[in-house]
Amino acid sequence: MFIRKLITTTAVAALSLSTAFAQDVQEIVNKASAAAYYQGEDGRAKVHMSIKDSQGRERTRDFVILRKDIDNVDNGEQRFYVFFERPADVNKTSFLVWKHAEADDDRWLYLPALDLVKRIAPSDERTSFVGSHFFYEDVSGRGPEEDNHVLEEETDDYYVVRSTPKDPSGVEFSSYKNWIHKATFIPVKTEYYDENAEAYRTYTALGVETIDDNPTVVKSSMADTRIGGVTEMVYSEVAYDTGLPEDIFSERYLRNPPRRELR
Amino acid sequence: MNPLPLSAANKPGLYLWGAALFSLMLILLVAAPTLAPQSFSFLEPLKVDTDPENMLSKDEPVRVFHNQMKKEFTLYDLIVVGVVDENDGNGVFNTETLADVYELTKFAETIRWTAGAGESAERKGVIAVDLIAPSTVDSIEQAGLGSVSFDWLMPAPPQTEAEALAVRDRAERIPTLNDTLVSGDGKALAIYIPITSKDVSFRVANQLRKKIVTFDGNAVYHITGLPIAQDQFGVEMFKQMAISAPLAMALIFALMWFFFRRLNLIVSPMIVAMVSVIGAMGLLVATGNTVHIMSSMIPIFVMPIAVLDAVHILSDFYDRYPSVQDRRKTLEHVMNELWRPMLFTTLTTCTGFASLAFTPIPPVQVFGVFVAIGVFFAWFFTVTLVPAYIMVMPEKAFSGFGMGAGGEASDHEATPLARFLHGVGDFAVGQSKLIVAGFLLALAIAGYGVTQIRINDNPVKWFHENHEIRVADRALNERFGGTYMAYLTLSSESEDALASVAGDAEKRLNALGTPQAQELSGEAQALRSSAESVDAFLAELSNKAESARDAAEADEDWYAWDDVLLALDAASQAEEVFKQPEMLAYIEKLQAHLASTGLVGKSNAVTDIVKTVHRDLFLGEEEAYRIPDTPEAVAQTLITYQNSHRPQDLFKLVTPDFKKTVLWLQLKSGDNVDMSAVIKSVDDFIVQNPPPVAVSHNWFGLTYINVAWQQKMVSGMAKAFLSSFVIVLILMTILFRSFAWGLLSMAPLTVTIGVIYGVIGLIGKDYDMPVAVLSSLSLGLAVDYAIHFNARSRELYRRIGNWRDTAKKAFGEPARAIFRNVIVIGVGFMPLLLAPLVPYQTVGVFISAILFLAGVATLLGLPALITIFKRVLFPERRA
Repeated sequence: MFIRKLITTTAVAALSLSTAFAQDVQEIVNKASAAAYYQGEDGRAKVHMSIKDSQGRERTRDFVILRKDIDNVDNGEQRFYVFFERPADVNKTSFLVWKHAEADDDRWLYLPALDLVKRIAPSDERTSFVGSHFFYEDVSGRGPEEDNHVLEEETDDYYVVRSTPKDPSGVEFSSYKNWIHKATFIPVKTEYYDENAEAYRTYTALGVETIDDNPTVVKSSMADTRIGGVTEMVYSEVAYDTGLPEDIFSERYLRNPPRRELR
Repeated sequence: MNPLPLSAANKPGLYLWGAALFSLMLILLVAAPTLAPQSFSFLEPLKVDTDPENMLSKDEPVRVFHNQMKKEFTLYDLIVVGVVDENDGNGVFNTETLADVYELTKFAETIRWTAGAGESAERKGVIAVDLIAPSTVDSIEQAGLGSVSFDWLMPAPPQTEAEALAVRDRAERIPTLNDTLVSGDGKALAIYIPITSKDVSFRVANQLRKKIVTFDGNAVYHITGLPIAQDQFGVEMFKQMAISAPLAMALIFALMWFFFRRLNLIVSPMIVAMVSVIGAMGLLVATGNTVHIMSSMIPIFVMPIAVLDAVHILSDFYDRYPSVQDRRKTLEHVMNELWRPMLFTTLTTCTGFASLAFTPIPPVQVFGVFVAIGVFFAWFFTVTLVPAYIMVMPEKAFSGFGMGAGGEASDHEATPLARFLHGVGDFAVGQSKLIVAGFLLALAIAGYGVTQIRINDNPVKWFHENHEIRVADRALNERFGGTYMAYLTLSSESEDALASVAGDAEKRLNALGTPQAQELSGEAQALRSSAESVDAFLAELSNKAESARDAAEADEDWYAWDDVLLALDAASQAEEVFKQPEMLAYIEKLQAHLASTGLVGKSNAVTDIVKTVHRDLFLGEEEAYRIPDTPEAVAQTLITYQNSHRPQDLFKLVTPDFKKTVLWLQLKSGDNVDMSAVIKSVDDFIVQNPPPVAVSHNWFGLTYINVAWQQKMVSGMAKAFLSSFVIVLILMTILFRSFAWGLLSMAPLTVTIGVIYGVIGLIGKDYDMPVAVLSSLSLGLAVDYAIHFNARSRELYRRIGNWRDTAKKAFGEPARAIFRNVIVIGVGFMPLLLAPLVPYQTVGVFISAILFLAGVATLLGLPALITIFKRVLFPERRA
């Protein structure tokens, strides 16, 4: 009798403890997501991407990212525009993303040489972003509600959060771990683990600068041991709150890119 | 007696114990490092090598290129799991089987382990990201409302029959998957499991088998692929060594017992054979050589040859002893008579095998050298151990021993065998012209047969027709595009990259028409002759344009410089040959040509990806299944493709710089003749249809490597054979101190080899690896009988003085020794027919045939020739 009571008490205590933590950790993750993807009301950056494969062969892409948060809500609706400049043969190729908090994102693709605007059916977002080691989801951000989070460790500088997918069938990882900087809430490192709990994919923030009062990752990398190699992204000419008009994030503008905004 | 057998006869104990010690030492030398590699790391352990790639040495250009290309295009060796279901009308495309396939794929992805520890730790097993299965490849398709969907072909096991069939339909729409992942008839599928290296295939396949056993469905799983075949080969190889070799030994033993009826006496040749085999194989392993398909045949070659000389001694001893009745005296007589023939037969056999050292195929070299060493051991132990053994036996053990011991002791020529051979001798001498004419006719027919020889090989066909590897091979090749992979690379050869890039840059700048572009175009012209490289040329211009752009105030100015920079970048891409539509169209044409040969079941190239993505970007309509018109359109199609789960797949077909591409050819047959026909067909095509840009083409892949080593083998063997023919002729001339006798000695082997290869040509047996090796072997063996016959005929002639009586004597004991040898050795090779691998069977059949023919050619041909040419061969003595 005594023993059973002890077990019950312990279980209840553990449960309430973990719930308390869960709320905390969800907040941390929400803040991290906001810090990584929702700084300012809008933003723009030029990105130089270098994709190195397992043999060290390099390919590069240069593109401009424009972003606008709808109603300036963190972790809410968002519009993205990715406009490719280099290599020359993909110049003006662009992606438009309408990111929804509760539903699948809408995505469009514009291929100028084929004079083609194509809507991409909602599906897996964990596919390569233009042949790099980054996934679409890494560029647009994974919804904080898609995983269960546990605060595994707290160091002087970092919250170390372990996240496991609520729907494991849609993702290739079994869990991932995030090192979130306590002061800025910028995730500085993310490791993805496979079914054998082996890390195979690592995101690293290689440089953080404060731009327009916003801590901003200006250099980051993604390595993947399964295919080998690493992709590095270097951000330049980063600007926030430039007052990007919402209407440029429309299918119509895919064919007629807003050159002014891209300069 | 020669000092060596004499010393052995005087100190038999020393030689017998010496041989025992020698064997024991070699056994220990091999066993210690093999069983306890840690404590004996300084010694060489037993290493088995079943990789046909090793037929070429590691630094052979063909092989270096093969490995370099595999690395450059990140291609791995594959285990193929073919899934077939004969019971279901839709084949494997039902919910149950696809669920099993899904599970098997998930399971296969986890077969990984770490080998070694610390610094040298290595990940081994399955390369999960490159696995090709329904759940690991992407499908591109229409998703309604003009949208296109990129998703897994089979993201989860289908729940309904309709969904199961949809998986099939989706795969069939994708050319790279159709006939590769899903069979041509839409009923079977194949999973391709890449592995880190061939040596892990056994472990991976075993785990797969364990998993497959747990499935309840009706589907049949064929696990195959070259690595699997090789593992299997290793297993069968040891079976051969463990079964065929001892069986051959037992059979030889039984035959000797039949001829000599003295168990304790015929033990001696067995000891000789055993010690020689241990000596040769022990040295092979101890010197760090691998046991390869070739070297695994060493025991079975050394054994009969080792017995050969001992049979001569015993045969002579058996015939002589009754008249001498003293073992030492008999021995002396026998050894004096046989010393030279045995020495020379050993030298010629060694020459035949050692000549293989000059072939450019390492395993064949090793084989040749170590058989030669084994033959030398056999000679040494024959001339020492046999006398020693005879001497340690008490005299009374010989009582009642020998031919005709029970009857006419003086003339032991009354047995059926003796009578038969005398008949043969009389016939040969009497009908000499007829016999020689017969042999000439046989040679003429054989000559025609040789011209009909088809040089061909296929390592998969080394397995027996009903072997599971062959069954799987047939099952898959009937249904899929083909399981034999060959890779054709095309690489651009830009003669003057700077001139073409500079030209392109100027053209693009002039086309812009802005003053900014004009300005830079002028600079480009100036730089054209002074720039050191394309990169330097473009970098300098780009730097200028970039500074100008950064300094630009007005938008218009900025845009103009931006356009200039774009033009320069575009010019740099002009070198990306395999993005150019005309080049892709050329590849398309080449693929169509390959398909028209009937030998290539299917080819995959970058064109297939471009066309597929292009089609599905344009509503999936068939007319859009084409190469787009501009390099930009190609590039944008490809960047779309790379937004997939497996962007890296593109670079298995083209290098990231688009200067080199590879076509994957699936052949239905791994026969070298078929691969050679494909090679020739491609060469012809390229000559008749010059590519739009200069490209060089080259081959790799195991199917091609097989052709490469076979070519080396054939020419190498021809050289080895011709050189050993000459050496043996010289040896014969020295032995008989007469060129005429030397030439005569070559006659039986010439007939033997001619007829053997004629028959091979006539019956349509492919000239393959074992057949090629046999030429040198037959040379060494076939001359043996001629040496014995000629040496002893001359010996007899010297005493008798006329050929007719000499022939009578020669068809006594010498002919019997030859006859017994033919039977003992010829039959001794027969157990090879029981070997599970075809090359061993081939060797068994042909060696037996060679020995039989050589015996016939010697016993009929030589007396016939001597009869005809006796004036040349036995010049009148001047006395």
